[in-house]
Amino acid sequence: MSLVIELEAEGPQVRGLAAERAPPPPNTPANGGNGDVRKKIVPVIKPPAGPSASEWEGGKYLSMQEWLEGAEQGGAILLQPADDVRALRGRLDNAALISVDFHRIGDGRGYTHAFLLRQRLDYRGRLRALGAVTADQVHAMARVGFDSLALRADQDPATALAALGAFSTPYQGAPIAGAAAERAEAAFAARVRLLERALTELAARHARPVLATSLSAEDMVITDAIARLKLPIDIVTLDTGRLNAETLALIPETRRRYGIDIAVFRPEESAVAAYVAAHGRDGFYEGVAQRKACCGVRKVAPLARALAGRDAWITGQRREQAVTRGALAESEFDADRNMHKYNPLAAWVWADVLAYAGRFDIPMNTLYGRGYVSIGCEPCTKAIKPGQDPREGRWWWENQDSKECGLHSNGSGI
Amino acid sequence: MYRYDPVDRLIVEERVAQFRDQTRRYLAGQIDEDAFKPLRLQNGLYIQRYAPMLRVAIPYGVLSSDQLRRLAHIARRYDRGYGHFTTRQNIQFNWVKVEEVPDILAELAEVSMHAIQTSGSCVRNVTTDPFAGAAPDEIVDPRPYCEIMRQWSTLHPEFAHLPRKFKVAFNGAREDRAATPVHDLAFDLYRDDAGEVRLVVKVGGGQGRTPRLASIIKRDLHWSELLNYSEAVLRTYNKLGRRDNIFKARIKIQVEALGAEAFAREVDDEWEHLRGGANTLTPDALERVAKHFVDPPLQALGTPSGSLPVGAHFRAWKQRNVTPHRHRDYASITISLKREGIAPGDATAEEMDFIAALADRYSFGEIRVSYHQNLIFPHVARAQLGALFAELDARGLARANISLASDIICCPGGDFCSLANAKSIPLSVEIAAKLAPIEDELGPIAINVSGCINACAHHHVGHIGVLGVEKAGEDWYQVLVGGRPDGAGALAVLTGKAVREGEVPAIVDFLARHYLAVRADGESFIAAVGRLGADAFKHAVEAERAA
Repeated sequence: MSLVIELEAEGPQVRGLAAERAPPPPNTPANGGNGDVRKKIVPVIKPPAGPSASEWEGGKYLSMQEWLEGAEQGGAILLQPADDVRALRGRLDNAALISVDFHRIGDGRGYTHAFLLRQRLDYRGRLRALGAVTADQVHAMARVGFDSLALRADQDPATALAALGAFSTPYQGAPIAGAAAERAEAAFAARVRLLERALTELAARHARPVLATSLSAEDMVITDAIARLKLPIDIVTLDTGRLNAETLALIPETRRRYGIDIAVFRPEESAVAAYVAAHGRDGFYEGVAQRKACCGVRKVAPLARALAGRDAWITGQRREQAVTRGALAESEFDADRNMHKYNPLAAWVWADVLAYAGRFDIPMNTLYGRGYVSIGCEPCTKAIKPGQDPREGRWWWENQDSKECGLHSNGSGI
Repeated sequence: MYRYDPVDRLIVEERVAQFRDQTRRYLAGQIDEDAFKPLRLQNGLYIQRYAPMLRVAIPYGVLSSDQLRRLAHIARRYDRGYGHFTTRQNIQFNWVKVEEVPDILAELAEVSMHAIQTSGSCVRNVTTDPFAGAAPDEIVDPRPYCEIMRQWSTLHPEFAHLPRKFKVAFNGAREDRAATPVHDLAFDLYRDDAGEVRLVVKVGGGQGRTPRLASIIKRDLHWSELLNYSEAVLRTYNKLGRRDNIFKARIKIQVEALGAEAFAREVDDEWEHLRGGANTLTPDALERVAKHFVDPPLQALGTPSGSLPVGAHFRAWKQRNVTPHRHRDYASITISLKREGIAPGDATAEEMDFIAALADRYSFGEIRVSYHQNLIFPHVARAQLGALFAELDARGLARANISLASDIICCPGGDFCSLANAKSIPLSVEIAAKLAPIEDELGPIAINVSGCINACAHHHVGHIGVLGVEKAGEDWYQVLVGGRPDGAGALAVLTGKAVREGEVPAIVDFLARHYLAVRADGESFIAAVGRLGADAFKHAVEAERAA
């Protein structure tokens, strides 16, 4: 039983079709494929004995010559590799199906047939590839215009269906040759796809991965991707006790919007009390040490609890955000916490985040609309003016190179 | 240097994932050998005589120091600690394991590299002048056009199963250092009277068993039509190329059979439909790529200080291995990978790491791979030549033999390649040894040694070419003279019947000494052959052998 995949508006459909000739069964490769050969090149390639098929589901195929000599209403043509398809110009209105015969994988003339039929002859009907059609060719075949793929009898339809999506963005046409906006559009789509791939792969690789969200736009991007793809990645956040109301409001909104749980971790009350007793509630304005102590109590320690028992964590850090993050890797080992750490947005710029937010309509902290860019605790965050460094809005009384809270110590350049 | 954007990166990552799955299915017996062959070839994987070989693309020969370090890492971790740089500006690893190739490809993807279409019947790695962006005689920097061609030809859905391989080269300088006459499709870039970049298009060059110099089919193609015109050439070839005999499947056979003019008409007919279409290059598209190839921050540095080494070795190195740069205070330097007793083009992982570190300090982190299988630092301050020489010399990497007799182009040959009829590496060593006493006197001469008729070492365009043939299970060789790969372009002629390995060095030596005897003042070997004719040299060999 051979199968045909037909590309319909609602997606690819697998349909049964009787096998017309059985190919040899595959074997496992000798010597694990590592070979020990002295090749003798046989230059002559035997011509095919005849067409790979004689009938389609509506009757007998006609050769191109037979078709040209007397086209039947609703009939089907089986094109051979050596046919000059341009002869069919103006003669295709009544064809129910055009099939292109691939006698062997290496004979690529059928791809040009499809291109010419679609682009030059404006053929809009069903166009089928048959013969030596394997799962590994269907992506290219679909791209040149085939919308029906009669798989070789040994081919697994599930593999072929998956292979149709092997590549997301074409490397020809507008993304290569077009205007800057066209490449930018393709680059944005590719960025999103790279994020999706990274999250999907790490979800498969790790048993208990977690996104530690600060509810920033970056973390909302990742949350959105996790939710859209229904990935088994938990999401946790920290309520430091000093967050803006606008930030806190995002927690229930995000839960509602995506129907997902977000576990909230809070500082130890005793530790907060000890800090307040030692430095005062706002003692962090007095110096870097006091500020880092506060971050330690309100952020670093709760995060440690949030990450306990995890084997990987995900952050929304970006290289562009700060001088301390200029060399940020997308995947690194967090030695302090003895687990993998992923920064899948490392290469994103703010414009990418905004583009994603707009495209996927993600919940956004309303503070962004008021000039905030990098949002942390309320007393340590302020709006910045256009053109200012984003980190100017955080711990503005400190030097650039100390501006990390301690969550991201590894690989962040400190 | 070009840096991947998300589009480039996604393509390469998805390609790795695709091949990982294909390899898994192949090893599980779900893909048969015939179906797997084009898949592995188009990911650079050959099955060689003793082990699989992986050919990694170095697009138009441009490498960053980080990329070279990654190649070193791959050599160390997945191979036997070395790699082999090829005439097509690629690198080959000769001892990889099939099941590890997807991991190697993933490692390459992390540094914006791949092995896509380095083999198979498809558009191969695009090559160009290794001195691009540095050479004083450059008219148009070819690198942006090479990169655009790389992107467009990568995973082109229509042209992955051509009749045979398809090699593309660009030249943008007065002297052609990209061997364009022996490419399937080649472009000479120039500026028209209005200052617009235009291209001379050549098709049908190639070597192998039917060597042919490319024919010009268009002289004034506007740069914006580069992809449309290339698509027309490829579609014409895909339709018309012979599929019944792989020895007659290259585009050169079609161009020869139809005649260049008729072939050009076929291409023009197709191009008429494509002109101004979806692949017409916009100024944006060119600018987007070209901005990656701006000059590094070269500074006016004045004359070198008095601390240069003064030895004869440094003087020879400076004369042979240092090439003028378009900035007067800089030079390009060539690191010879033609060392005594080491296969031409080979470098160990340690050497690659060492060269990458030097590139960071002396050449803005940039390295080029040349047609001659050497490595080049394109932008070295003249003031630092002495210091760089000293560091190279300390590691045995300062052999002063660029363009000399021992700068031999050589294929892997029967030591590695399953196609080879004869060994090439040991013979190239013997030839170099034989000519060593007269090497300096000889001056520039290109010797090319191929182990079989596939001509990977370009023996047809060597000033002296050697071709391995097999006779009754033994290694025999033909010696050719008078080829040249440059813009002048000439195919070498046979000097006589095949001889045994032991006789080859003497014939090459005879040709060299004959040149010394007949040359005019200041005349190079190939200039003398040009003046007297290759046949004159051939007859001299015949007379000598008859005597």
